Amino acid sequence: MKNIRNFCIIAHIDHGKSTLADRLMEQTGSVASRDMQSQLLDSMELEREKGITIKLTPTRMNYTFNGEQYILNLIDTPGHVDFTYEVSRSLAACEGAILIVDASQGVEAQTLANAYLALDAGLEIVPVINKIDLPSARVEEVKKEIEDVVGLPADDAPCISAKEGTNINQVLQKIVTDFPPPKGDDKAPLKCLVFDSFYDNFKGAVCLIRVFDGVIKAGDNILFMQTGRKYEVTEVGIFNPKMQQTKSLSAGEVGYVCASIKSVADVHVGDTITHEERPTLTPLPGYKVVQPVVYCGVFCVDGSKYNELKEALLKLKLNDASLQFSPEVSQALGFGFRCGFLGLLHLEIITERLEREFNLDIITTAPSVSYKVLKTNGEELEISNPASLPSPVEIDKIFEPIVKASIFTPPAYVGSVMQLCQDKRGEYKNMVYLDANRVRLEYSLPLGEIIYDFFDKLKSLTKGYASFDYEMDGFAPSKLVKLDILLNGEKCDALSLIVHEDSAYARGRAITEKLKTIIPRQLFEVPIQAAIGNKIIARETISALRKDVLAKCYGGDITRKRKLLEKQKEGKKRMRQIGSVEIPSEAFLSILKLDDDK
Amino acid sequence: MIGIYVHIPFCESKCIYCAFASFVRDENFQDRYFEYLNKEIKNCNFPDREVASIYFGGGTPSCVSEKQIVKTLQTIKSAFHVLPEAEITIECNPCSASLEKLKAYHSAGFNRVSFGVQSLNDKMLKFLGRRHTKAQALAAIENAKRAGFDNISADLLLGLPKGDIQNDAKILLRSGVKHISAYMLQIEDGTRLKGMVERGEIKLPDDDAVVKKYQKLTDFLQKNGFLQYEISNFALKGFKSKHNYAYWTGQAYLGFGLGAHSFDGGFVRWANADNFEDYFLGKQNKEVLSSSQRDEEVIMLGLRCDAGFRLDALNASISEKPIFKKYVQDNILKVQDGIIRLNSKYYNVSNSIILHLID
Repeated sequence: MKNIRNFCIIAHIDHGKSTLADRLMEQTGSVASRDMQSQLLDSMELEREKGITIKLTPTRMNYTFNGEQYILNLIDTPGHVDFTYEVSRSLAACEGAILIVDASQGVEAQTLANAYLALDAGLEIVPVINKIDLPSARVEEVKKEIEDVVGLPADDAPCISAKEGTNINQVLQKIVTDFPPPKGDDKAPLKCLVFDSFYDNFKGAVCLIRVFDGVIKAGDNILFMQTGRKYEVTEVGIFNPKMQQTKSLSAGEVGYVCASIKSVADVHVGDTITHEERPTLTPLPGYKVVQPVVYCGVFCVDGSKYNELKEALLKLKLNDASLQFSPEVSQALGFGFRCGFLGLLHLEIITERLEREFNLDIITTAPSVSYKVLKTNGEELEISNPASLPSPVEIDKIFEPIVKASIFTPPAYVGSVMQLCQDKRGEYKNMVYLDANRVRLEYSLPLGEIIYDFFDKLKSLTKGYASFDYEMDGFAPSKLVKLDILLNGEKCDALSLIVHEDSAYARGRAITEKLKTIIPRQLFEVPIQAAIGNKIIARETISALRKDVLAKCYGGDITRKRKLLEKQKEGKKRMRQIGSVEIPSEAFLSILKLDDDK
Repeated sequence: MIGIYVHIPFCESKCIYCAFASFVRDENFQDRYFEYLNKEIKNCNFPDREVASIYFGGGTPSCVSEKQIVKTLQTIKSAFHVLPEAEITIECNPCSASLEKLKAYHSAGFNRVSFGVQSLNDKMLKFLGRRHTKAQALAAIENAKRAGFDNISADLLLGLPKGDIQNDAKILLRSGVKHISAYMLQIEDGTRLKGMVERGEIKLPDDDAVVKKYQKLTDFLQKNGFLQYEISNFALKGFKSKHNYAYWTGQAYLGFGLGAHSFDGGFVRWANADNFEDYFLGKQNKEVLSSSQRDEEVIMLGLRCDAGFRLDALNASISEKPIFKKYVQDNILKVQDGIIRLNSKYYNVSNSIILHLID
């Protein structure tokens, strides 16, 4: 056990996390150079394209130092607030973290947020300065930033170029010398942390685990302590980086467990695995059941593809336990699904995967959170679809989800961050000056306000320096109303939103104005109205189409004309019919982007 | 019964808005073209030989030697059976159609002349790249009458930056024109006009303004006894263009010459190559329509004009479509004796309506 090192790499986006991981694997001979596919760990096409890691992929490397053999287990982490819980579980599986900082960009928001997460998890942190090959590299300044802002000694931080493979060996040595070996007892009752899972067509759900105490092997009867589920282990193994079966996994080791588990939904990240016959007394701390926080309707542009959409969602769900969905019928969009996501990035990833991997043309409705509604007749409802909110007279009270948000920002931006939080109906809680360069602001904010554009706005206000994290903090009563959009007098259910009373008028005006620019002129005049209940609060009018004539029909060239018509017909497939009004599918998402235009 | 279209792809110069197959070429080249064209006509073995209309279009048929035109018409007459009441049209440019030429056309058997007047505003004519003036246009109409033509048509362009199309129409009516085609100026790919608009050198009136003018022109012409029998075509009683009607009502027609299109009256359309090299090699494009494509054509063409289309002419019925019922209910479509017609008030948005019906 003393020769095992379990570690992760943390960094701000684009500072070179995946490139360094590739180099470490290459230098330890875990993967032959010629087989290297750049950024091996970010296996999903979409992840590679977005430069972000969503799915964790651990890998085991063998490394010899001072004549001794070491096993280095690299556990990769996703770097986005949507997946904070998953990150925290991955960190809990490690003893050390490599903090990469870009030599030209220096310390950035996520550098700090990730460093704090790692410190909270009690990890040893080794700063590494990357991209020293860049002409704009400023190694000494960045070292000082790490010391001043993050508060970590950076004097002997390895200065590397992951891209060119410079000084990678220094990083490997640091892993061995600076990170503590895992502690644990092979003889004690089994205690394993599940930090991720994925689905394998032959093996079922595969659990990624870190063994803290005891030994696990095939044939063992195991118990998932939080869910209470029991299984017989069929296989254990390590990642090399491909799955490789081993006889057993003992305290301190990282690997996988298969136990004929049907779905990843049966495996909860953060759960503790123990032996059924000789269970540990206490499960590992930090377990949470992950609930979706953002919901939206997902529909196919071509309504006849409902079954294909269903199949696609089922397939994605196999590997993504946090994705939830149930059938939904919209008057405007037909048959589809109400889906729940961990956050907006998660939403975006899923819809993009539906389009790319399953070749579906998708329409999504505006994201919403889940509200609690107390009706005048005493009935209690949970509503995640604005269209299903009862009429105002039937509502006694509405409760909205609240989050405890903490924002790290340089002091210069405190004013604008506070203004933003106030605009988003935030309630000020606390402010702490961490050092000369960092302030921590604490706010209580409605979740519904931050799912739209809060993060984007925060980033642009603070030039990317602020970092933001939140945790759910129950529900609070609020003056919320349903804002309906009427096209030619007909309500369009897919465009309904739940908004705070005070911002309803401004929102209604902005949406009607925006829709006026998106909906093409029709044969007749089309009023666009925003309404709360029966009260119209905003109105715009699209004047009737005046001219739409195909060019003159010259010399009997009918073919050209028909082809033009067929092309237009194809384009019309992206239109949706609301009563007698045709609206383009973009309209459903455009109402979200109101602020971008201003 | 069939119609025959003959394409004369030559012009003295190219207008800024023109995207048709027309070229500036010397007489030697033109002779070669006509030689091939006449051969093409003679060799045609389409089974239906009864010709109800002939149309010489271009390009500018009047810019080539009248001898070639007359000879080509004679070739048609000897190869086909041209009915005595057949409508035989030649398109002319006011500045190249001299009295002599017009006389030669008339005595060869042409009985309808169509002038590309476009505008009676000299500034606009110059802007468009036309070679004639208002005075020349009116003189050409006088010459046509002197040459013996009664059935005279004039083309006008809607949507020009300047000019008064209604006043132009008034002058043309007074000059004895029996038929007016008023096309909306389109910005076609590859034209000089498109470049000018894209570079911002010229600003064309917006759709609302063009449609307003179109509707005023329509009212004016109707008050003066002109019937709007197609989106862009207006005629006094008895002067509708039979040839154009053939296109819109699904009759067979044969096209001869560069890039000319043909239709067998059923499901087959074909077209000659639109570059000289391939045309001289006899290259053609042929297309066999599916029944749904043919339905699209029937609807698209029928709703352009007062002929409409017969519901039972369609391969797949549309009468149960909600949108069809709605259009009938809203008086956008008119149903009479199994024939569907577009209410002429909606000609300006006909494309949208057609699109909905074929969807």
